[in-house]
Amino acid sequence: MTRLPAPFGTRIDRTRPVSFRFEGRRVQGYAGDTIASALMADGQMMLSRSFKYHRPRGAFGLAGAEANTLVQVGAEPNVQADLREVAEGMEVTAQNVAGSLAFDRDAAIGLFARFLPVGFYYRTFMGPTRQAWLRFWEPRIRAKAGLGRVDTGARFPHGDKAHLHCDVLVVGGGPAGLAAASEAARGGADVILCDAGPEPGGSLCHAPQGAASAPEGVRLMTRTACTGWFADNWLSLVQGGTLWRVRARQVIFAVGGIEQPAVFRNNDLPGIISAGAVRRLIRLHGVAPGRRAVVLAGTPEGLDAAEDLAAAGIAIAALVVPRPLPGHEGRIAALGCPVIAGRIEEASGRARVARVRVAGSWVDCDCVAVSVGQAPAWQLPCQAGAVLGHDTASERFVLRLDRPGLHLAGTVNGYAGHAAVVADGRRAGAAALRALGMSAAAEPAPKDIDAALSFWHQPLDPHPGGKDFVDLDEDLQVADLINAVAEGYRELELVKRFTTVGMGPSQGRHSALATARIVAEATAREVAEVGVATARPPAMPEALGTLAGHGHTPERRTALHARHLRLGAEMKPVGAWWRPYLYGRGDREALIAAEVAAVRTGVGLLDVSTLGKLEVRGADAGEFLDRIYTMSHGTQPVGRVRYCLMLNEMGAVVDDGVALRLAPDRFYVTATTGAVARVYADMAMWNAQWGLRVDVANLTGAFAGLNVTGPGARDVLARLPGDIDFSRDAFPYLSGREGVVAGVPVRAMRIGFTGELSYELHCPASHAPALWDAVMAAGEVRPYGLEASRILRLEKGHILIGQDTDALSSPDELGMGWALSSKKPFHVGKRSVEMRRRLGVTRRLAAIAFPAGTRGLGESCLVLADGVPAGHVTSVAQSPTLGHPIALAFVPAALAAPGTGIAIRARDGSTVTGTVTGHAFLDPKNTRQEG
Amino acid sequence: MKLLTCPLNGPRNIDEFQYLGPLRPDLAEGAADADWAAHLFRAENRPGPMVEWWRHTPSNTVFLAERHTLTDTILRTWLPGAKP
Amino acid sequence: MVLRLLKYGLSRGYPVTGDLPPTPDLRASYDVVIVGGGGHGLACAHHLAKYHGIRSVAVLEKGWLAGGNTARNTTTIRSNYMTMQSIAFYKEAVALYEGMSEELDFNVMFSQRGQLTLAHSEATLRAFHLRAETGRHMGIGIEVIGPDEVRARVPELNMDRGGALEIIGGLWHPDGGTARHDAVAWGYAREASRRGVEIHQRTAVTGFGVTGDRVTQVQTDRGVINAGAVLIACGGMNYDMALRAGVDLPIRCFPLQAMVTEPVKPWLHTLVSSVSLHTYLVQSSRGEVVIGGGSDPYQLYSTRSTLDLKEHLAEGAVHLFPFLRGLKVLRQWAGITDMTPDYSPIMGASPLDNLWLDCGWGTWGFKATPVAGKRMAECIATGRVPEVLAPFALSRFARFDLVNEMGATAASH
Repeated sequence: MTRLPAPFGTRIDRTRPVSFRFEGRRVQGYAGDTIASALMADGQMMLSRSFKYHRPRGAFGLAGAEANTLVQVGAEPNVQADLREVAEGMEVTAQNVAGSLAFDRDAAIGLFARFLPVGFYYRTFMGPTRQAWLRFWEPRIRAKAGLGRVDTGARFPHGDKAHLHCDVLVVGGGPAGLAAASEAARGGADVILCDAGPEPGGSLCHAPQGAASAPEGVRLMTRTACTGWFADNWLSLVQGGTLWRVRARQVIFAVGGIEQPAVFRNNDLPGIISAGAVRRLIRLHGVAPGRRAVVLAGTPEGLDAAEDLAAAGIAIAALVVPRPLPGHEGRIAALGCPVIAGRIEEASGRARVARVRVAGSWVDCDCVAVSVGQAPAWQLPCQAGAVLGHDTASERFVLRLDRPGLHLAGTVNGYAGHAAVVADGRRAGAAALRALGMSAAAEPAPKDIDAALSFWHQPLDPHPGGKDFVDLDEDLQVADLINAVAEGYRELELVKRFTTVGMGPSQGRHSALATARIVAEATAREVAEVGVATARPPAMPEALGTLAGHGHTPERRTALHARHLRLGAEMKPVGAWWRPYLYGRGDREALIAAEVAAVRTGVGLLDVSTLGKLEVRGADAGEFLDRIYTMSHGTQPVGRVRYCLMLNEMGAVVDDGVALRLAPDRFYVTATTGAVARVYADMAMWNAQWGLRVDVANLTGAFAGLNVTGPGARDVLARLPGDIDFSRDAFPYLSGREGVVAGVPVRAMRIGFTGELSYELHCPASHAPALWDAVMAAGEVRPYGLEASRILRLEKGHILIGQDTDALSSPDELGMGWALSSKKPFHVGKRSVEMRRRLGVTRRLAAIAFPAGTRGLGESCLVLADGVPAGHVTSVAQSPTLGHPIALAFVPAALAAPGTGIAIRARDGSTVTGTVTGHAFLDPKNTRQEG
Repeated sequence: MKLLTCPLNGPRNIDEFQYLGPLRPDLAEGAADADWAAHLFRAENRPGPMVEWWRHTPSNTVFLAERHTLTDTILRTWLPGAKP
Repeated sequence: MVLRLLKYGLSRGYPVTGDLPPTPDLRASYDVVIVGGGGHGLACAHHLAKYHGIRSVAVLEKGWLAGGNTARNTTTIRSNYMTMQSIAFYKEAVALYEGMSEELDFNVMFSQRGQLTLAHSEATLRAFHLRAETGRHMGIGIEVIGPDEVRARVPELNMDRGGALEIIGGLWHPDGGTARHDAVAWGYAREASRRGVEIHQRTAVTGFGVTGDRVTQVQTDRGVINAGAVLIACGGMNYDMALRAGVDLPIRCFPLQAMVTEPVKPWLHTLVSSVSLHTYLVQSSRGEVVIGGGSDPYQLYSTRSTLDLKEHLAEGAVHLFPFLRGLKVLRQWAGITDMTPDYSPIMGASPLDNLWLDCGWGTWGFKATPVAGKRMAECIATGRVPEVLAPFALSRFARFDLVNEMGATAASH
């Protein structure tokens, strides 16, 4: 155990031990430990194997920004061991190892590293045959790919989603964020402060300046990572399994910096840790990272780490100071340890660093704290429009953000000294207040003497022996990047894609800046000109389950749903609606045939509540429908029903329905179930341009509809009490009435979708069950379902929009020229219909009858002309009434005449033949529906 | 999520709106077939400010918006017939 | 294969082969100028140089090589279209992909692991049958399968949802697959430049000089070029570029977003897509799960990402594979699609004699890369439009002779 005594370990609760398993071995930590800190306290420095060469790897930055701390926790892959807190009984395993973490057979790949240069897979794995890649090479590569493992049987809880609004969102609870939030809250703003850690304070938590607490009046959200910025200050915050969608008027990014790795040979050995991580381990978790440390102090932060190491009683074998640190000489002397001017040239060790070579000599050690400086955490600000530049003079990367409503504060804004960071936070808070129109004094940009030393421009020349890793996610060495440039991949994005640098789980947080410098040098360009890859969301990994939330699928049920269930209906979804497909259990074909027969010989009842229902009101209602639909509605008498055919501007049929004129200025219009939303929107769109005096209301959900159909329909309705005269003379075909039936207010229309005598009764949805019950009780009425309805209309030759039409079908192709009013000067699509007619109609929808017993027909079967596909079947059914199959199909115009034989390729590949009939298979003279 | 200001209902999340496409120039009555086809299929698609139709779905309000198609900045919105 | 690896390992330094030459100075004149250094333009350059002996070719790319939609697409290759015209074209594309690594001596990792498109409604199934019947006639691998076979092909799918999004069948397309998108472009670029084609990166075309029916000049931010023939093949900027030559294309631009998860051990070997959910998934050979869907709802030239689309894609993904809830999204991005009224490309002649169009690629440009390159090179070299491209002529709109693919391509890419 390498646990340090109190006061070290401010974040752990030694009274609450937590035990979990790592690689099958029991490990004990404390509440407040992360998986990584608990393992490192246990002496387990190696946490993973690298992606490509399976080299031993440990934590570097302990800030959730690296691939090497990813572990499997139960069924959850790629868990950040440096962020995830330990929980009792957790099952943690290493990822991407063959065998175990300690003995990984795939580590042998590392021996062949020199045979596997960057981009080698583009030049290899190709032969000897064309199929070799797919059949031989790729399966082997896939077997080695990936890190964690998904458990395809795993069940995870649903994520939650919620919204927040605030004046100011401060991202990051370090000294700058705290100062900014405090300033903004004091000025009267409603402030949210979020931080990914378990407590606010950021670097204050382990700094001599002392711990921190949330400013008064601020809504503090800990363990909350801001994962993305989107347009109009819409941000995603992930807190556990909850996705908070935040709308902020002002956003302050106080997101700090990312400690950069030092690049030298074997810089990836476990035990080589960033200065900040060393300090957090000691101060927050009470973990001694080793017994004998070497400290690389490229910046004063290295000295901070050295001081913490010394305070914890850890021997410092060498303080490596690669450049003078003016003003810090006293601190260096006070450490009293060997000081070497120079840099770390190389490290060695097996599963953990054992020594480093500095200025030509080897120094034994078991841990190395490195400090080369921090890069501004550019991901989130860059998503919001910040630009990452490079200041040639100071050799620092600098971020600029000049967008309304957005501010940078503290380290991310280029400040390093504590006082300056805090002052910049206050400045940003005040700037946000002023942007909100609240009063705050303008504070000047703080002075920062520490900034000059905050980044060490380390040399990035390749080591002859390699293993000087720039990207630890992807096992890329300095030479790999130089070689990619030499191959001609000279642009940063090309280098990235050719080498995969920055494409791993850490998304370039540790590699992008070094890459930019290497590529700049190799192409003789400025670093700023090379730049870094575009920062894309998310700024931290987001679980799919959190993003998905509960994922609910909306469903709609008609007012008669319970009636259908009681009658034993088989319900099927049609879009969002649930509709009865057929009633009863047993031989489905026989049941459907019986439903069809009931309509043909008795009375059938269909729930048509899902139909779109619109009310068009206003002085120009007739004129409006004249423009929207193809038939004439301006001249339509009150009390009459007229067919409605809607075209788009291309002259293609997009919807149909009927319109009942209720009054000179009122129409009740139906639309198909699937299209009503679009029809309603289109009507609004057209009238926005036409400016007619009309208003359209969508009554689809408010009204239910029943179709009472069959030769006995009139008798059934006549038996019901009410004030509508359903007699032949009083209620002729294509007329409509408002009145009361069985105590229910209805709009009744005589139309003929089934080809039989039919009354459609529409009523307020809440009355529908009563009306249904009354109709059912009034005679031998059989409810029928969707499938019978489809057969009934097919027997009558009626088309279903969307099934018998496609995106181009014109009325002429569908044989619906009769529905086009020739008198009207305009309706939508008229101009195109005329033009298409002049160009010639090349295909037509034909009704085709097949001999009884014809097999293998199906929807979408191809129509053949001289053996070549020339159309297809859109609807087909065995007609129970006629006793043979019938179909609608697109056929070449030349083959559309009644009597023409049509060859169809059946499902089994054979050819079957049918004959074109007139459009209705049944009752072409309409005596049944109009009688 | 982007905000779009409905002239009737004020700023709302853009997922409350339906995009109805760019405002198109009118075509003269009696245009030749070729001109009609060109009018029908041609697209307003220049990078830059564009005037387009939107609909606020819950209130069924159709209005016009001027939006920059490179930056996605909404410059102004107004009801048809109203002065922008 | 083994020899190649040995060569790398045993040579003292890294043996540079020089895939891509640096951008040379612009010459005053080229036989052919290709606007757009993406997959299509580079494939055309390769075919011009290798098969038509036309080597005085300049490929002009405003940014970095193949950095537009070639770099941003989700790499699906398939030929399971609705119409015979489209199937004929994409079938040729698939065949060219099958031989591409050999053709280019560059492993583009074309991996035909098959595509499964899911049906959640009878209407979708009807459309699948039409694609299957037509595809079978055209000789591609395709069939409609029932729920049991869906389950057998991708056992990890959640089949037990019930309700409106229950899986009731699928369209199985064994020819479908993926390729390494960047490698396709680099392979073409390498072969083309070896034969003398000049590739000019960071070279933006700013306009054209047009005299009568001909483009006489290509104006760039590095100077003016004379061109014998010009090809416009610049993806999301096709509309804008053609307009600079006075050609008004029926194209509207919409962003198309996608995202990728952290790498996990490969478990999904098939491309799975759902039309109703507007979601498709494919796991790459790095182990990342690529998740894509439909285009954004309004016209835009910005490749910004939105949270709502990411949430939508996540919802679709965990609907199909609930165990993915614990998997994390690593990166989200977008490309600009150039959509035509009939969801089909515009290829071939333009109103100008020597200006050729390779436009309107919407969400299906990558899969057409080799065939578009080959056939556009044929157009330019011979001055004639080959039969396979005829249905995609710009002039089809004036004849109302649209390619009837509308509704067939949604979320299939």
